[in-house]
Amino acid sequence: MLWAISAAVLVYLLAPIIVVVATAFTATAYPVFPPRGFSLHWFEKFLATPEFVQAIRISTMLAASSTILATSLGTFSGLALARFPIPGKSTISALLLSPILFPTIVLGLALLIFNTRIGINGTFPGLVCAHVVLVTPFVIRMVMVSLSQFDPAIEEAARNVGAGWWRTFLFITLPLIRPGVVAGAVFAFILSFDELVVTLFLSAPGLQTLPIRIYTYVEYSSDPTISAISTVLIATWLVIGLPVYARFFSVRHP
Amino acid sequence: MGELTRGTAPPHAARTPYLLLAPNVFWLLVFMLGPIAMLAVISLHGYQPGTGILDTWSVDNYEKFLGDVFYRDVLWRTLGMGATTTVACLLLGFPLAFLLSRLRGIRRSVLYFLLLLPLLTSAVVRTFGWMILLGNNGFINRTLIALGVVDDPIRMMYSISGIVIALTEVLLPFMVLALDAALLNIDPHLYEAAQNLGARKVRIFFGVTLPLVVPGIVSGSVLVFTLAVSAFVTPSLIGGPRIKLMATLIYQQSMGLLNWPFGAAIAFVMLFTILVLFVVTFRMTTSRRAA
Repeated sequence: MLWAISAAVLVYLLAPIIVVVATAFTATAYPVFPPRGFSLHWFEKFLATPEFVQAIRISTMLAASSTILATSLGTFSGLALARFPIPGKSTISALLLSPILFPTIVLGLALLIFNTRIGINGTFPGLVCAHVVLVTPFVIRMVMVSLSQFDPAIEEAARNVGAGWWRTFLFITLPLIRPGVVAGAVFAFILSFDELVVTLFLSAPGLQTLPIRIYTYVEYSSDPTISAISTVLIATWLVIGLPVYARFFSVRHP
Repeated sequence: MGELTRGTAPPHAARTPYLLLAPNVFWLLVFMLGPIAMLAVISLHGYQPGTGILDTWSVDNYEKFLGDVFYRDVLWRTLGMGATTTVACLLLGFPLAFLLSRLRGIRRSVLYFLLLLPLLTSAVVRTFGWMILLGNNGFINRTLIALGVVDDPIRMMYSISGIVIALTEVLLPFMVLALDAALLNIDPHLYEAAQNLGARKVRIFFGVTLPLVVPGIVSGSVLVFTLAVSAFVTPSLIGGPRIKLMATLIYQQSMGLLNWPFGAAIAFVMLFTILVLFVVTFRMTTSRRAA
């Protein structure tokens, strides 16, 4: 009984993904499920459309820049929160993690107003600044989980034999929490690449990310090119995201 | 240097955590809290089409939203949509979380992977999948007609029911993960004790499992409700421009009509609603624990 219900819910949960991947290979001119015929035409059309290729370039640069900044900020914050007794720690950590739950539609409008005021709206740096806000909390969380998995005595031992704080961090702590930092960085990259709502507010005609292209495209028309792009995205995140996730979560859930 | 500092931290260590936190806190002050403060200020300004934002100060934007039946309906519709989505996530997520929490080893990993897969897929991609499924000529309607359940297609695209169907799917993994965490926290000895005392499965579920999983139900529901009432991508694509919800209205007012002050006021009504929910649940959970 429980298995049957769970299987039905799983079908519902995975339905849109199955549909998107299946319709990417359809031979029809519009996305139908189940697909009719088999064709790779839509993948060719995707790669032959300059707007989409350009959008991938912009999204990749944006996600890479945000990831580098967010991983640095998040690793330091995670370290401070997990390893030091600080007064008001719960308030600070609530503040640092708040972007996870804060409505993106509100943050998008707030940043539109702010970025316009300081003159960076519709620019690449303006988008990076916003994305760093959104993805840093996920790095902090991953780093904190990582830090909770090994004994602070190891770091203490290093300091006791005379290693300074930076030496201890670089040669002891960082190698030990590397899986957490890498998982946080991968997570940050995927989230930044896929971010749509805040980006919609802050982008400009020459600065269209891939999610924006997909969004504006499906708003007015429906053809299997979007299925093909989505399939490529799903496959990419699966390949780069899953190994990191699997290792990370397998530590948490033996 | 080289001196043993066992037990006592070196003098500079007191500054270390603050130096570590400073860049991140600074970033949030500049690119989150500052802009939100500006948003609050702008929500109190007037707006004149053609002229732009006025220097006047008033609560007119809030009065306009809360005083007009049309906009109040948007508020109620949004809350109703959020509540329906939350209940649907709870009903569908519970069996899945219950199964997940009982599995071990490779089976658990496989199910966990199937839950993470949607989380790795962006909301816009999954919503596009739902657009294909929910159309009048879509898979669901064609199947229902072929099975003879209905004669005419059920209108799901551009409707609230379509939004709830798709948004429930988009937010379901968050609920399952919250419930799973709570279920895993239950001490297995409690089940053994109940069994040894002769309780049957149903009795154990309602007497042991359900009361102990309440924290997970609360945290999962608050999370899903918050994400649902502020969701933009799924409501705007499935609902289209005719279905007005708070998030789509904020976007339309500020990006379509360039009325930032009114958009800002709606944004603060949304934040306030979420804040009330947080305070109420916090009160309820703490008083439960005290009782």
